[in-house]
Amino acid sequence: MIEILSVLGPASVQDLGRFDQYRFGVGTSGAMDDIALRAGNILLANDENAAGIEIPMTPFKLRFGRDTAFALTGADAGADLGGRAIPPWWRSQARAGDVLSLKAMTRGARSYLTVGGGIDVPVVLGSRSTQLRGQLGGLHGRSLQPGDVLPCTAPDSSACIGELGTEPADIALARPNAPAGVTVVRVVIAGEYDMYDGVAQDLFWRSDWKVTPQSNRYGYRLQGPAVMPISPVEKRSHGIVPGVVQIPPNGQPIIQMRDAQTSGGYPKIATVIEADLWRIGQAGLGGKLRFEQTLYPDALAAQDEVSAYLDKLRVNVRRLEELRRCR
Amino acid sequence: MPIDTTDIERLAQILERSGVASIEIEENGQSLKLVMETEGPTVPSPALAALTGRSDGVANVAKADVAGIFVAAHPSRTKPFVEPGQAIEAGAIVGLVKIGRLYVPVLSPAAGIVDSIVAEAGATVGYGTPIVSVRSAA
Repeated sequence: MIEILSVLGPASVQDLGRFDQYRFGVGTSGAMDDIALRAGNILLANDENAAGIEIPMTPFKLRFGRDTAFALTGADAGADLGGRAIPPWWRSQARAGDVLSLKAMTRGARSYLTVGGGIDVPVVLGSRSTQLRGQLGGLHGRSLQPGDVLPCTAPDSSACIGELGTEPADIALARPNAPAGVTVVRVVIAGEYDMYDGVAQDLFWRSDWKVTPQSNRYGYRLQGPAVMPISPVEKRSHGIVPGVVQIPPNGQPIIQMRDAQTSGGYPKIATVIEADLWRIGQAGLGGKLRFEQTLYPDALAAQDEVSAYLDKLRVNVRRLEELRRCR
Repeated sequence: MPIDTTDIERLAQILERSGVASIEIEENGQSLKLVMETEGPTVPSPALAALTGRSDGVANVAKADVAGIFVAAHPSRTKPFVEPGQAIEAGAIVGLVKIGRLYVPVLSPAAGIVDSIVAEAGATVGYGTPIVSVRSAA
């Protein structure tokens, strides 16, 4: 078990998401950076869907109730375990009573703590992810508070638990020629793209969009030049998914994220491809985003690239484990 | 399939366990010769050699325990794990060995002051290669 000692902001239990309830209006939730969660679970030889803790702000502190293998992935949060520095994208071993402290995020916006066996909160509607809007899943359907105790599944005791790190995803999956300080995400154009003229479309593609403080697990509200349609667009509410980029009447884009509602009525100009959603999850408040148009086949190729990175990680961890076990 | 560092590591372990001094293999036009050091690790660096003559402490050496590329700083950071003159605890991470996309830590065997970074960043290291020397109170 894990006891939360201090927490700032809405830290929550998340797995990869709740995917079978969309038709009932239940959104997916799930880790904002699914690659970081998967990588942590791979380092621990867990199921990749095992639940971890998504930590969006520091300082954050917790105590391990028993000897526990854990991994920290995602944002570099200046972590230490009982005073000993723990690098980012790292697996290590805590002893009962050890305190893990995340002091300050210097790169990225969300850190993920995964533990050997996974965080064992009840499965609700097929997932352990916290859904804040519906107050379900995770720990009592809410974000974590000091004093909370999270049960952990007993890990496979034969698992090797030496320290091990992996190449961070933002390095392994770096986009070529990405400008410094700007997160570039690939999008495919969406249903209402043609309701904007060339000038408005150009503004959408060329602007550096600022991530406003009204950005969270539900969606990211961006700030920049107003992107206005040729004539006002009125649509009935229709199905939307995480990644959809809407343009509300003020012309300032909203990117729907993991806790998005399942329907909405604003016109959709584009949709962020699945393979790049995690990049938005790691874009902090005040950061800059840029949209790059891509085509459906290229979106699939990008997803293959992510899968290849994770597959290689899985194979390499297993091989190295075999090697080190024979010592 | 080409011979990779993991295979070499595995072979080295087999040699060590079985007490065999050397092995040569050839496969698909590649050849590999492994010779075990029986006298303990050699001392390739003048900095490390100089250490043995010092009287103000005990020299400890953090060594690689796997074959790969020595990395002095975490890939997300520019600052190296340790720098000469820095006080560290036993078990502190003093560097990394990179194998493909994985990183294995090099740990300090003792508490003390970092004397020098013996290995060169980017160098290929193997089992037992000295990485960092640490001076401890005698």
